[in-house]
Amino acid sequence: MNVTFNNRDPVYIQVVRYFKEQIANGNLMAGQEIPSRRELAAMLKINPNTAQKAYKEMEEQGLITTERNYPSKITTNENILHGVREELIVAAVDSFMQSIRPLNISIDELLHIVQEKYSQESSKEVL
Amino acid sequence: MIEVNQLTKKFGRKKVLDGVSFTANKGEITCLIGINGVGKTTTLKAIMGLTPINKGSILIDGETINKNTYEKVAFIPDAITMLPQMTIKQAMQFMQDFYKKWNQERATELLTFFKLDEKTRISELSKGNTAKINLLMGLAIDVDYILMDEPFSGIDIFSREQITEVFTSHLIEDRGVIITTHEINDIEHLIDKVILLDNGIVLKEFNTEQMRQEEGKSVVDVMREVYIG
Amino acid sequence: MKSYIKLVNFEINRFIKIYLTLLIITLLSQFIGVIVIAKSKMDQAHEVMGEQNLSEQAYLHDYGGFTFAHFASTLWFVGPIALCIIALLFYCLMIWYRDWFGKNTFAYRLLMLPTARISLYFSKASAILLFIIGLLAFQLIILPLENTLFESLIQDNFLQTSMDVSSILQSNVMLGIILPPYFSDFLISYGIGMMFVFVLFTSILFERSFRLKGIVFGILYIIAAVLLYLSPLFILSNETYSVLYSEEIFAIFLVLGILITAASIVIGNWLISKRVLV
Repeated sequence: MNVTFNNRDPVYIQVVRYFKEQIANGNLMAGQEIPSRRELAAMLKINPNTAQKAYKEMEEQGLITTERNYPSKITTNENILHGVREELIVAAVDSFMQSIRPLNISIDELLHIVQEKYSQESSKEVL
Repeated sequence: MIEVNQLTKKFGRKKVLDGVSFTANKGEITCLIGINGVGKTTTLKAIMGLTPINKGSILIDGETINKNTYEKVAFIPDAITMLPQMTIKQAMQFMQDFYKKWNQERATELLTFFKLDEKTRISELSKGNTAKINLLMGLAIDVDYILMDEPFSGIDIFSREQITEVFTSHLIEDRGVIITTHEINDIEHLIDKVILLDNGIVLKEFNTEQMRQEEGKSVVDVMREVYIG
Repeated sequence: MKSYIKLVNFEINRFIKIYLTLLIITLLSQFIGVIVIAKSKMDQAHEVMGEQNLSEQAYLHDYGGFTFAHFASTLWFVGPIALCIIALLFYCLMIWYRDWFGKNTFAYRLLMLPTARISLYFSKASAILLFIIGLLAFQLIILPLENTLFESLIQDNFLQTSMDVSSILQSNVMLGIILPPYFSDFLISYGIGMMFVFVLFTSILFERSFRLKGIVFGILYIIAAVLLYLSPLFILSNETYSVLYSEEIFAIFLVLGILITAASIVIGNWLISKRVLV
C-alpha cells in the first residue's frame, strides 16, 4: 500500500477515502478481510489512534463489519458497495464539472476529448 | 497522564521556561515543538527530575517524580546513556538488574526488529543505532510513558524509518509518548497532539486531527501562523 | 538495599582493572625491590669488607647488620604505596566525574534508576572504602612474604634482627600511618579518612549541582569542615581549656567527626536527590 496523504485534511478521512477507492476499483472485494488497525497504521505510517478512528468511521458508514475477535471485513452489502462506487464517481465528475464549466465548452466537444484522453490513458497503462 | 503546571526554569537570570503548562495522555503521541533554542529538552529533563525547577509542578499519574516513577517513565536523551565499553547484552543485563519491570522478551524482539547484534559494543554504535538502543532500553522497561529528545536529529533515513515504524507498532500501544523536535516532516501524520513552545511559553496547544478537521490546517500551517505571524 | 549492593558491585567492577593493575604493580615492585635491595646490601657489605679488609664480625661491629626496615624505607616499597594512595584519591573525584564527562552520559542512567539516589552516593563511598581495605589487606598479606624472602636473601650473620609484621609497621612512618599497629588507631585514621571522602563527595555534588558557583560552595564546604574538625586544636592551645583529659579530647573529635560525616550525608542526599544536573 502506498498512499500519500495531504497535511490539511484529517488523516482518518483520507484513510476512509482510500478504502472507498479500493472498493470502487475492485481491489477490495465484498467480504474481504482487511488489515488490523495496527497493521494499517504501520503500513500507512500513521498514528494507530487515527487508524482506529478511520475504522470506526467506516463501520458507521457500513463499509466494513467487525465481529468480536475476528479481523474486520469489507461489507457484503451490495447496496453500500454500489453506493461507494457511485459516490466516488459522482464526486469526481462534480469536481471535474466545476473546473470545466467556466470554459463554456460544448457537450459534444467535451465528450469527444474525454473519450480520446481516456483511451489514451488506458493504452498507456497497458503498455 | 503527565501534567506540567506553570513550569518555570531559570538558567542564571534567563528564564528558559516561563510558566509552561500542558498535559500528555497515555495512548497519545504528544509533540513538543520549538524552532529555536532551549526549553524542549529542559522540559523533558524537568519531568524526569534531572534538573531542578524554579516554580511549578509536574505530576505523573498524580505523583511527583520519585524512584518508583522511574519504572513508569523512560527518558531517551539525545546521547548515549550506557557505558561505551559495555556490549548491548551487558547493557540489557544492567537494566534487568535494576528494573523490576524489565521485559527481556520485548528487548529481544526490539533487537531483532532493529537488526542489531547483542555482541556489539555501545561505543561501536552509529548515531542512528544509538538512538535505537536508547529506545530499546526505554521500551523494554514496560513503561507507561516515553519521553524522547530529538529522536530524529542527525540520524540516517533508515534508522528514522525504523524508529517511526516502532511508533505505529504494538510496541508503543497504549503508552504515552512525548517527542521533542524542531522539524515535523515525516511524523506529521504520526502525532496526536502538538505543543508549540517559544521563548519559554506555550504559544499553542492543539490536536492535529481536530485542527485538520475544523480549520483545514496542517501542523506546518499552524506553526507558520504562530511563529511567523 | 538490593540495588545498593548491586551498585557497589557495579562500581567495583568498573575500577577492577585499574585496581588489579595497582595491586600487581605493588606486588612486583615490592618483591623485585626485596631482591634488588637485599642483593645490593650484601654486595655493598662484601665490597666494604674487601676494601677495608674487614672480617664479617668487624664489619658488623662497625656498620651493623641489615633489617627489613632498610628495605621498607626504599622507593621500591614506599613508591607503589604512594601510587595507590594517589590513585585512590584521584579516583574519589573520577568515580563521579566519569559518569558526567566524555561522549557518554552515564549519569542519566544512574540518576534514573528506580532506587533512592542516595544509594549512588553510598555505593560510591562504599566502593572507595572497599578499595582501601583491599589494598591494606593485600599489603598485610604480602608483607610477611616479603619479609621471609628478605631474610632468606640476607646471610644469617648479616641479619641484624628478624622483624615481625607489627615491628615492621612501627619501623616506618608511612606504614605507621596507613596501617596503625593498634586497632583503635586504625579506626581513627580511617574514620577521619572516610569523613574526608564524604566531605569531598558532597563538595563534588555542590559542583555538579551549581556548576561554577558550586565550585565555590564546594571549596567553602571543605574549608568549613576542616576548620570545624580542627577547631578543638585552636581552642586547646588556649590555656584555660588545656586541662581536658585525653579521653575528653578524643570524645570531642569523635563527636565532631560524626557530626561532619552526618552533615555531609544529609547535604549530599539533598543535592543528589533535588539539585543535581545532568
